[in-house]
Amino acid sequence: MKGTYLGEFEEVVLLAVAIRSGDAYGAAVVNEIEQQMGRSVNLGAVHSALNRLQEKGLVSSEMGGMTAERGGRRKRLYTVTAYGRRVLEEVRQLRNQMWNAIPGFN
Amino acid sequence: MPNKPPRLATRLLHWLCPPHLAEELEGDLDELFQQRICEAGLRQAQWRYLRDVISLVPLALAQRNTDTVFSQNPTNTIMIRNYLKIAVRNLVRAKGFAFINIAGLAVGMTAAALIGLWIQSEQTYDRFYPKTDRIYQVYNRDTFSGETQAWETTPRPLAPYLAAHYPDIEAAARYRPTSFLFTTAGKHLNADGAFADPSFLTLFDFPFVAGTVQTALREPTGIVLTKSLATRLFGTAEAIGKTVQLDHTDSFLVTGVLDDLPDNSRFSKVEYLLPYAYFIAQGRGSDEWSSNNDYSFVLLKPNASASAVDAKIKAVTARQLNGILDDVSHRQIFLHPASRWHLYAKQENGQLVAGQIVTVRLFAVIAALILLVAAVNFVNLSTARSEKRAKEIGVRKVAGALRSSLIFQFLCESVLLAVVAGVVTLGLLLCCLPVFNEITGKHLSPGFGSWTFWLIAFAFVLFTGLLAGSYPALYLANFQPIRIMKGTFRPAQSAFSPRKGLVVLQFTFAIVLIIGTLVIRQQISYARERDNGYNQNNLLFSYLNGNLSSHVTALQQDLIKSGAAVSVSQSMGPMTEINTRQWGLSWQGSTKADKDLEFDRFGTDAHFLQTTGTKLAAGRELDVYRYPTDSNAVMLNETAVKTMRLSQPLGATIRFLSQDWHVVGVVKDFIFASPYEAVNPVIVSGPNKSVVLNWTSIRLNPERPVAGNLETIEAVFKKYEPSYPFDFAFADESYKAKFAAEQRIGVLTGLFSGLTIFITCLGLFGLAAYTAQQRTKEIGIRKALGASVGSIIQLLSVQFLKLMLIAFLIGAPIGWYTLDQWLAGYAYRIAIGPGIIVLTLAVATLIVMATVSSQAIKAALINPVNALRSE
Repeated sequence: MKGTYLGEFEEVVLLAVAIRSGDAYGAAVVNEIEQQMGRSVNLGAVHSALNRLQEKGLVSSEMGGMTAERGGRRKRLYTVTAYGRRVLEEVRQLRNQMWNAIPGFN
Repeated sequence: MPNKPPRLATRLLHWLCPPHLAEELEGDLDELFQQRICEAGLRQAQWRYLRDVISLVPLALAQRNTDTVFSQNPTNTIMIRNYLKIAVRNLVRAKGFAFINIAGLAVGMTAAALIGLWIQSEQTYDRFYPKTDRIYQVYNRDTFSGETQAWETTPRPLAPYLAAHYPDIEAAARYRPTSFLFTTAGKHLNADGAFADPSFLTLFDFPFVAGTVQTALREPTGIVLTKSLATRLFGTAEAIGKTVQLDHTDSFLVTGVLDDLPDNSRFSKVEYLLPYAYFIAQGRGSDEWSSNNDYSFVLLKPNASASAVDAKIKAVTARQLNGILDDVSHRQIFLHPASRWHLYAKQENGQLVAGQIVTVRLFAVIAALILLVAAVNFVNLSTARSEKRAKEIGVRKVAGALRSSLIFQFLCESVLLAVVAGVVTLGLLLCCLPVFNEITGKHLSPGFGSWTFWLIAFAFVLFTGLLAGSYPALYLANFQPIRIMKGTFRPAQSAFSPRKGLVVLQFTFAIVLIIGTLVIRQQISYARERDNGYNQNNLLFSYLNGNLSSHVTALQQDLIKSGAAVSVSQSMGPMTEINTRQWGLSWQGSTKADKDLEFDRFGTDAHFLQTTGTKLAAGRELDVYRYPTDSNAVMLNETAVKTMRLSQPLGATIRFLSQDWHVVGVVKDFIFASPYEAVNPVIVSGPNKSVVLNWTSIRLNPERPVAGNLETIEAVFKKYEPSYPFDFAFADESYKAKFAAEQRIGVLTGLFSGLTIFITCLGLFGLAAYTAQQRTKEIGIRKALGASVGSIIQLLSVQFLKLMLIAFLIGAPIGWYTLDQWLAGYAYRIAIGPGIIVLTLAVATLIVMATVSSQAIKAALINPVNALRSE
């Protein structure tokens, strides 16, 4: 994994940011995860995961414009960086490799 | 937005997060919230919102440290530093006012702290045993001729019976106080202690220095000593295995040594415990259910409810006494919890009601009021001097200070002052405690070593600071900057300003206390000067120990012959106490109800009048040596003659103790018990077989020095009974001891009214000084126009006298009513006459004049040129 350890939840959040690409902010990520996985997550957990991902350089963020739906409050929009995308692919590759190694599973 | 998220959660978020983060997070939260209302309902949405906010806390805290730019912390501390600096400058600038404020607060806090310590000690009485909440004392209750009474002595078989028959009762112990002469290798001393069952030690868990609960009191020849008695007897606390002899008869092996029992235990005077089994083996006491002489203590099981047990055991004694007593329908026993033994032990109509707790509450109120009076000083002085601070407040407000930050500033100032006063208080407390302990007869100590003390002290200081500072802070923070800056500002000068009201409040309290002090003093001296009908000087009483009682006649003759005594007689006990009570009397013309009348009984052989100094009203006195039939004769006091409605007392026959007694004389009333009570009917009976006269009363020879007399008497006593020390009590000393409780209240009231007056005067002095200073110009003009010094003094003092008069009109009725209630507890009491009220007014006026006039005179004497030139 080349020094970047990606936790299970971090991976989920990173995937959600990738899915919502262009409109990935805290609440949207929460919604995405809840829909995909069918379980409830805390906003705090998502935000701290996003923070960690940003520190690791897997996502980048910028403040978006004001919208009426949030009472004029701005939102922080996250995008997956190139490095983040590569890490996701590596994870997937590793998984596939291991799946393939299971005897009699094809 | 129709539905709002939980306010508290949002506020928490804003409080924790730097603003930029809060914006983004709140946006997310809000969006999810609205969405969830549609999906899962409002309840669920609110719940999730709260959970989300809580889950954000660690994130927010982590962000806080990195983004200090947005935090308001540093500015806060900068402002606090500024507040403190200004506060100190203000204190230093007006040293006089600072002194008055600090002194007043410190004295008030000291008084409150002393009372607080006293209350704390009262409230811990008997509440510190490890099983306190399960320990109860068994009381008796019955109704006699319509009057229900409760008393604490119970039959001997009761405790074992309760323990054996009621599973809710874990253990029960009998207890009976006693006194013995202790002898060890050449040492004799008298000590008070008690007989007790072994379970007594497991009930109360008194800590052992040596020995164990399991072995102590099990053997009938073992004794448990306290550490101090062991040290007095053997010179060391290691007394286990040593022997002591009691009353020169039986020897006991020391099987346990207890730590000295704490002051705030009802057993604090107990110095040793003897096995109850020994008491029974001696053939003393009685197993009858009708004889109530023992104390019974019970320990309930942890989950047993006292009221349920109460209901179950209620009729135990009544069942046992059925057929023995005429009427057992009202006979009951009930449980009295250990936590109430000290404060709720006053017997009233068969119920145990608030006793000592009334005094405790009274002093709590006094403490609160003294503190309030001290706080009022601060309030008055700071609001009066508010003009001095007006500019500062104006500038601060213009520079953007919020009302809340000004309030905070002034609270800081008052708390700072309270802290300084608190330090002074600590010093005062150390100085006053020994004196206070002497007055109250306690061993109070604040426990400087424990952190709870410092915690409480800190809370107390903070409380005082807020109490004193909150009104001035609100008052000052409300000033309007525009009026201050324009110069049209005038602090409140309405007809009724709160400041005047507060001064009236202070005076009212002081006046109530002055009335209290005067009334209590007068009541004590009234009772002390009450003619007690006998001569207390040179009268002493001694118990006839050992062989003395069999040599009484020879002893009496020797005492007279030696010249140390002028008159000696035998008696049932010292005359300063009730010896015994007698009821069930009948005489010619008595009714059935008269059988319930209680008489106080004394006994004598002869020379009663000469020895005690009582006076004969009619007939002759008892003298068994001259009239042998006087063994069955009695003398009555005048009250007894009145109560019995005897028109011809002499020669009448009275029947009690199943025999006839004839009346030979009437003695004038004398007061032996409480000087506050009405005189009871008294019978002085001759030495019939049923009467044991084991005391002797001795009238010393007044011609000779007392010390010499005592030496001579001791020698005579030793001649007949060398093995006992000569113990005696003087009548006048025993009598004086009866005033101790009232004396104590008198001294304390005097002390606290003195303190209150002192604090009030400090405040008044400050106000007077300030007014005089304010009116310097006015006084100068008046003087220039020809006003006399007298009229100026009048000008400055009259306003304060007016306030005092208003306070007097409020305080005098309150004081009168309160003290009248207090006096109602005494049968022999003064009436609060106009004298006391007038005296109070005079004292209050004098105090006000003394305080105010120095300032008024100073202001009046200033040369008007100096006053007017300054511009």
